[in-house]
Amino acid sequence: MSASADASTAPFDLPQFGPESIITFAHGLVGQPEWKRFFLLTSDDAAGLGVLQSVDDDQLALMVTNPRQVLPDYSVELSTADRSLLGLEANQQPMLLTTLSVHGTQITANLVGPLVINPRTRVAKQLVLPDSAYTARHPVASVATEN
Amino acid sequence: MLVLTRKAEQTLHLGDDIRITVLGVDGDRVKLGIEAPRAISVLRHEVYLQVQAANTAAAIAAPDRQTIAAAMRGRQQPTDTRGVRA
Repeated sequence: MSASADASTAPFDLPQFGPESIITFAHGLVGQPEWKRFFLLTSDDAAGLGVLQSVDDDQLALMVTNPRQVLPDYSVELSTADRSLLGLEANQQPMLLTTLSVHGTQITANLVGPLVINPRTRVAKQLVLPDSAYTARHPVASVATEN
Repeated sequence: MLVLTRKAEQTLHLGDDIRITVLGVDGDRVKLGIEAPRAISVLRHEVYLQVQAANTAAAIAAPDRQTIAAAMRGRQQPTDTRGVRA
């Protein structure tokens, strides 16, 4: 039985690392092994929105948010192996991000592939949740709103 | 790609720590048993492709990020009991 941790964080906050702090995905993101190093940029007034700006490619930036913004009950179980890879101590909670993308008029969140970050070391990994009830295109908002 | 043929109840060893066993074959479905350390993730390819696609789609140019930010601010918050703002 592996240790599991519910990744809790203040409901809609994004991690505040400061723009000088580089988040590193040792193996990149799923299907994008070169996407390794990012700054997390947040703005004060945003509805819990952030941008992962690639350190190595000016043109590459991912929109992200706290998955609890999308689904307040969202939780991720981390295996012992993942906790070890991330360098998380026994009671230490990781920070979670989910990427946002647009499909037609829908903004969707990838809840099956969360980005999990060690808040102290900024070591990160993208998990893929197996047999999950979550989807890679969880609807969040409509881009075109009718008045 | 290494191509091997196995019958039901036959096993493959991958490295020292991984075994894959064909548990059964039923029509076009093959049941596989996988023994691997917890550190090895086992993913259906379809899910892998979905996450890869979501990553690619999340790489968004700045003007479109503004559009998304506006839509996200305008949406009803999960604990917001007011009506959606027009």
